[in-house]
Amino acid sequence: MAYTRAHALLFLAPLLLIVLVMYGMMAWTVAVSLDDWVGMAPVWKYHGLENFRTLLGGALRERLFTSLRNNLIWLVVFIAPTTALGLFLAYGLDLVGRAERVLRPLFLYPIALSFVVSGTLWAWMYDPDAGVINNLFRMLGLGRWAQPWIADPHLATFCLVGAAVWQYTGFAMTLYLAAIRDMPREIFEAARVDGATDVQTFRHVVIPNVGHATMIVVAMLILVTLKVFDLVWVMTFGGPGISTEVLPFFMFVATFRQQFVGIGAAVSVLILILAVAVVVPYAWWSMRRLAA
Amino acid sequence: MIRRPRITQWLVIMLAAVMTAAPVLYAADQQQLVIYHWWTAGGERQAMQVIFDAFTKKNPSTKIVDNPVAGGGGITLKTVLLGMLAAKIPPDTFQSLSGAELKQYVDGDYVASVDDVWRAQKLDANYPAVIGKMTTFKGQHYGIPMNAHRANWLFYNTKLFNELKLAPPTTVDEMIAAAKRIKSSKPNVAPIAIGTREKWPAVFLFDVTLLSTGGPDVYEKFYTGQLSVKTAPEVRAALQKFKDLIPYLYQFHGAKTWSDIAGPMAEGQMGMMVIGDFAAGLLVQAGYKEGVDWDAAGFPKKPQEVFLMIVDTFVRPTGAKHPEATTAWLTNLTDPKVQGEFNIVKGSIAIHKAVPDTTYPDKLHQEASRTFKSKRIVPSSIHGVLAPPAFLSDWQDILTRFLYSPDINRALDEISSAMELDKVSDSSGWYWAK
Repeated sequence: MAYTRAHALLFLAPLLLIVLVMYGMMAWTVAVSLDDWVGMAPVWKYHGLENFRTLLGGALRERLFTSLRNNLIWLVVFIAPTTALGLFLAYGLDLVGRAERVLRPLFLYPIALSFVVSGTLWAWMYDPDAGVINNLFRMLGLGRWAQPWIADPHLATFCLVGAAVWQYTGFAMTLYLAAIRDMPREIFEAARVDGATDVQTFRHVVIPNVGHATMIVVAMLILVTLKVFDLVWVMTFGGPGISTEVLPFFMFVATFRQQFVGIGAAVSVLILILAVAVVVPYAWWSMRRLAA
Repeated sequence: MIRRPRITQWLVIMLAAVMTAAPVLYAADQQQLVIYHWWTAGGERQAMQVIFDAFTKKNPSTKIVDNPVAGGGGITLKTVLLGMLAAKIPPDTFQSLSGAELKQYVDGDYVASVDDVWRAQKLDANYPAVIGKMTTFKGQHYGIPMNAHRANWLFYNTKLFNELKLAPPTTVDEMIAAAKRIKSSKPNVAPIAIGTREKWPAVFLFDVTLLSTGGPDVYEKFYTGQLSVKTAPEVRAALQKFKDLIPYLYQFHGAKTWSDIAGPMAEGQMGMMVIGDFAAGLLVQAGYKEGVDWDAAGFPKKPQEVFLMIVDTFVRPTGAKHPEATTAWLTNLTDPKVQGEFNIVKGSIAIHKAVPDTTYPDKLHQEASRTFKSKRIVPSSIHGVLAPPAFLSDWQDILTRFLYSPDINRALDEISSAMELDKVSDSSGWYWAK
C-alpha cells in the first residue's frame, strides 16, 4: 500500500495537536499578562503593560530582581560543575571497564529521584544542628567549617545549587558517556600507541570530540536553571525572607497563592523571553562552532 | 483510493468526540458525594473517617468519592480547585477556611449560599456570632464551619520551667524575661523554639506579640488594613518587641519546620514555643506527656486573653452535580455529636455550643473549649482567615526577612507597600460590614 499525504498528516496529527496546544497556551499566557486579572475567576480587563511596569519598576521590582539574580547565580554556578563532573565521570566509567555496570546505575540514581525526595534529603543534610554535613566537619575536627547552610540568606541559594549538581551530574554523565562510546575506538588505540597517558587522552582526544554532547548538555542545563522550582519549594520555600526565590517560584506564588494571575503570567512571559534570549544565541554559537 | 483519506479523517474526528464524551458519561453516575479536602496527615485522616462514618450511616445510598490533597492549610488543594472551578467541573463540596479565604471563592461566584442549612440547624443560636460573621458575604452565609483551632498557645518545657522556678509568661515582656533567665542559667538551651523553613510560624509569633503590645482591637485593625502602617505607633511598637525577641530564638530557625522543633522543646533543648493547638497532637503522638514533659498556656493573657481562631469550613460549590448529597453533608457537619467525636481525633475543638468542655480527654483542649465559650474570639491572620491570602504570603516573607535583618523602618515600608498592592483594606470590608 502506498503512503499518501493524508497518511503523513494522520501520523503527524497528534504532534501537531500538541504543538498547537502548547503555542496556544503560550499565546494565552501573553494575553493574560496584559490583563488585570486578580482573583480566582478570570477577569479580562486589558491594562496594557501595567503588570510589567509593576514588576520592572513598581512595587514588585525588588522581588523580581532578587529572583532574576538567583536565576543568574544558578546559571553561572550550576552548569559548569555539573558539566565538568559529568564529563569526568563519563570518561572515568569508560576507563574502569567492567565495574562500569555497577557504577553507572549508582551515578544515575539521583536523577531518577523525585526532587521532593532529594530536596528533603538535602535539607536534612544541610541542617546546621543535626545535619550530616556539619556533623562530619565536627567529627573531623573541622568544626569551624560548620555553617548555617540553608538558614543563611547569603549561602542558601548555593546550597540549593549543590543539591542540583548532585542530582544532574548523572544526567550529564549519561550524555557524555554516549558521546565517548560513539567515538571510533581507533582514536583511543592511536593515542595509546603514541604513549599518551589517560589524562592526556582526556585532554587532547576526548574533550575535542564531545562538543556536540556539550552543546546538548549545556542547553538542557540552561533550561533546568530557568525552570528550577521543586528544590526551592521543598528546601527553603524561597526563604529566608525571599533570598532564594527564583522566577518560576515567584510566578507560582503570585499566581496561585496570591492570585495575581496577570502578574504571574507576566513573570512567565519574562521567563520565556529569558529562555529565548539565553538558549537561542547559545545554540547558534555552538552550532557554528561545531560546523567550523 | 481517493475516498480513503476522508474515512481516516472521520475516524480521527470520531475518536476525538468519544474521548471528550467519556468523562461526561462517566460522571452521570448514581448518587454520590465528590469531596475535596486537605486532611491527609495521620490523625486528620482518621478524624475525617469519623465524619464519613456518620454521613454514611445517615445516607446509606450515597457513595463518598474522597479526594484528599496533601498540603497544610490547603495550599495544594487550592491550586487543584482553581483549575476545576474555572473549568466548571466543581466537586460536590470542598474544604476552605472561613473568612478572607472563603471570600475568594465567593468573589469568583464559585460557591452558593448555604442559608438554608444555616437556618434549619439554627446556627445563629448554636454557633458564636463571630463565626456567622466570618461566613457571611453580601448578606448570605457561604460556608458551614465545624471546628476551631486555637493559634495562640505558648508551649513550654515543664521540667525546665519547674527547675528554674519560672511561671508561664502572660505577656511578651514576661516571655523575654523568662527567655533571659533560661539563657543565663542554661546557655545550651535555646529559650524560644521556632522553625521558619516554611515561613508561616513566624506569623504565629508575631501575632501573639501584636496581641500583647496592642490588644485584640489593634490586631483586627492591622490585619484588615485599617491602620496606616507607617505612622501607627502600635505597629512600630509590635515590631520593636518582635525585634527584642530575636536574640532568644533558636538560631538556626530557618533550617527547621515547626514539627522539627516540637520534639527538642519537649526534650528540654529548647524552652518554649508559640504555635497552634495542633502541636499538642504531634507531641502526644511522639510520646511526650502533657503536664510531665510539656505544658501549654493561652498566650498572651494581658491586656486581654483571646481565642485566636482558625476555622475549617466546607462549602456548597455552584453547579455541584449532587446537590442533595451536598446538603446532607453540610447538615451532618453541624451535628454536635459528630463535631465532638471528630474534634477529639482532629485535635481541635467543636464550635457547636452543645458540645461540653468535658468531651476532650486532655487538659489543653478542655481549656481551649472553655476559652472559646468565655473569652473574646479573634479570627487569626493565619492561612488567610482574617488577612487576605495575598497579603499573608507577602507578610511571611517580610517577617522571616526581618528575623535575619531586623530593620524596623524597612519592614514598615514593606508592609505598607504590600498592603497597598494586596488591597488589604479594600478586600477586608466584609469584616467591618454590619
